[in-house]
Amino acid sequence: MGKYVVRRLLQAIPVLIGISLITYFILLISPGGPYARFANNPRITAAQIEAFAARWGLNDPIPIQYCKWLGVCGEKPFLINALPGGTFEFNGLKIELPGGDNGMLHGDLGYSITDGRPVADVIGQRILPTFILAGTAYVIWLTVAFLAGVYAAVKRYSLFDSSLTVANYVGYSIPTFWLGIMLITAFAAPPLKWFPVSGMWTTRTVPTFGTPDYWAFVGAQPLSALYDLGIHLVLPVFTLVVVSIAYDSRFIRSAMLDALNQDFVKTARAKGVPERTVIFRHALRNALLPVVTNIGLEISFLFTGAIVTETIFSWPGMGRQFIQAVDNFDYPVLMGILLVTAVIVVFANLVADVAYAFVDPRVQYG
Amino acid sequence: MDQTLRPTDPLGTGGPGAIPPVDGAGGEDFEVNLVSLNQWQIAWRRFLRHKLAVFGSLLFLSIVVAAIVLPFFFPFDFYKVPTPVAHCPGAPKSLASSGCPPSLEHPFGTTGGLQRDVFTVVVNGARLSLVIGVGASLFAAVIGAAVGGIAGYFGGWIDNLLMRFVDVLLSLPLLFVILVVSKFLGGGSWVSIIFVFAFLGWPGLARLVRSLFLTLREEVFVEAARAVGVGDRRIIFRHILPNALSPLIVATTLSVAGVIVTEAFVSFLGFGVDVTQPTWGNALNGAVRFIPVGNWWWPLFPGLAIVFTVLGINFMGDGLRDALDPRSKF
Repeated sequence: MGKYVVRRLLQAIPVLIGISLITYFILLISPGGPYARFANNPRITAAQIEAFAARWGLNDPIPIQYCKWLGVCGEKPFLINALPGGTFEFNGLKIELPGGDNGMLHGDLGYSITDGRPVADVIGQRILPTFILAGTAYVIWLTVAFLAGVYAAVKRYSLFDSSLTVANYVGYSIPTFWLGIMLITAFAAPPLKWFPVSGMWTTRTVPTFGTPDYWAFVGAQPLSALYDLGIHLVLPVFTLVVVSIAYDSRFIRSAMLDALNQDFVKTARAKGVPERTVIFRHALRNALLPVVTNIGLEISFLFTGAIVTETIFSWPGMGRQFIQAVDNFDYPVLMGILLVTAVIVVFANLVADVAYAFVDPRVQYG
Repeated sequence: MDQTLRPTDPLGTGGPGAIPPVDGAGGEDFEVNLVSLNQWQIAWRRFLRHKLAVFGSLLFLSIVVAAIVLPFFFPFDFYKVPTPVAHCPGAPKSLASSGCPPSLEHPFGTTGGLQRDVFTVVVNGARLSLVIGVGASLFAAVIGAAVGGIAGYFGGWIDNLLMRFVDVLLSLPLLFVILVVSKFLGGGSWVSIIFVFAFLGWPGLARLVRSLFLTLREEVFVEAARAVGVGDRRIIFRHILPNALSPLIVATTLSVAGVIVTEAFVSFLGFGVDVTQPTWGNALNGAVRFIPVGNWWWPLFPGLAIVFTVLGINFMGDGLRDALDPRSKF
């Protein structure tokens, strides 16, 4: 098992390198490139731009630039550079680590063009709202899809099963962003106004999310803070889960039907095992296998859905930040967000693979 | 004498269900109504039996016909703005600047701001949305078939290299990259949007084609062809590709729906096709600002157009899958 995990980790390395190459490609195609920050500044002279290029190595060949951006090339030898660098205090002992020229591998993702903040800070500020939205949606989506899919398979050809099939088709055909727009039109715009149109907190009564004031407010009035967050979550979460539930419940239904058609289920029934035990002990556990694989693969869907939903509902997360960055040609920010999400997706897939091998003893690993 | 074979006595043992011998026929002009069907005719019959698929195809077809024909009667010109009216007909207190609800004159209502006819916008938007959806999917299918075919047929280091590249592209959240590349390189032209979607959309299809080629190249008929000295090119195009075509057709059909939805979102954000050209995404772009003043018809109808198109394509794709590829389950 341990060997299998190590091998999967090693297999992830070429994929991660490929992702970094594609991310770097975005820098190459971004209009203006690294000089974009001077585009609207008439007081910058050609000499200053030349000094800037010399300072940041922009006259180097592209592969060298990529290597430096990665944080591997530098004045120190190749491998040492890739190590984390800096001085650390450990029990009063000062440890000097050798590597660590600035670069992506050292967590240095550059600075935003629009407001000059470090990209890592921008992402750090935006990642929690995305996790709150996507996490809530993910839990609801998996629970509902699983229950609906299993129930439809057990009660095959029932009214519930056929209505679920119709709902699946319709739900799967609705564009997520349009669903969000229509939900706002129906429930947030006048006359109903049941939910807030956009945002994550009520600006008049609640401090800005993430500030110390906000956490103080959460500490003082946890219930009203939770209610305020909850009421802002309803429409975005609903938007995010509809399409995914439509897709997944169908998938889980067919996995469960497969399991129910297996010979061992027939045997169990023939032996007189109670139907409840047949469903929950014999069939369900086998239907779980394809579901486990899907859970990891769908993390990518989740981020895609988050971009769409956050944009429609002005949710202050990474997806909306990404759209703003694209709009402003703020390439350091969008490269950073792309890298972070891609790395999360790669590791989610890895966890899903390992989990699959863990759940299904038939999988050969070694 | 016309007589069809009855299946009740397949072995001809003359049991209780056997066809009684006909007097005077003597067996010499015993005609059997058997029509031989080729693979595509069988698939076509199976497709016609799939009610939802037929419904979906008709739905999609009527949208295509509407997209081709109707713009001649309701031409859209971005620079031709209708003369504004102050109030909606029949509602003297309303403000026409936030759009008028559906009426006989404007069956889908009018837009807020410029007071365009929403029906005209939707009908004209269908053209580009469909062309981009179909064009990008076909193009992606060609690239995917080429890459997947090469990887699956030749194997070895080519396969390894190409599939690692596919792995990388598939592990990126695709929408992120599409948004960036559309905005940075698209320049608002619908042709370049087709290229962007095709160049980013092929990896899934390539993986599919590769797995088909991997199994097919081990088949006996390929071995036989190779044994009599058929070249690689002919084996690929005459022996393997036709057998891999069915799943590819299904996947390409379903991907049209995906491209239409994604393109609508990209254009909705203003990163796709230039706003002067009508697409469903562009139609939705302006609609958001007028939702707070109660204009529900502007966002509703372009969206419904997308939903019906996608629904039609999905039904059609499902029917195609059942007809062409009966062994697959999902």
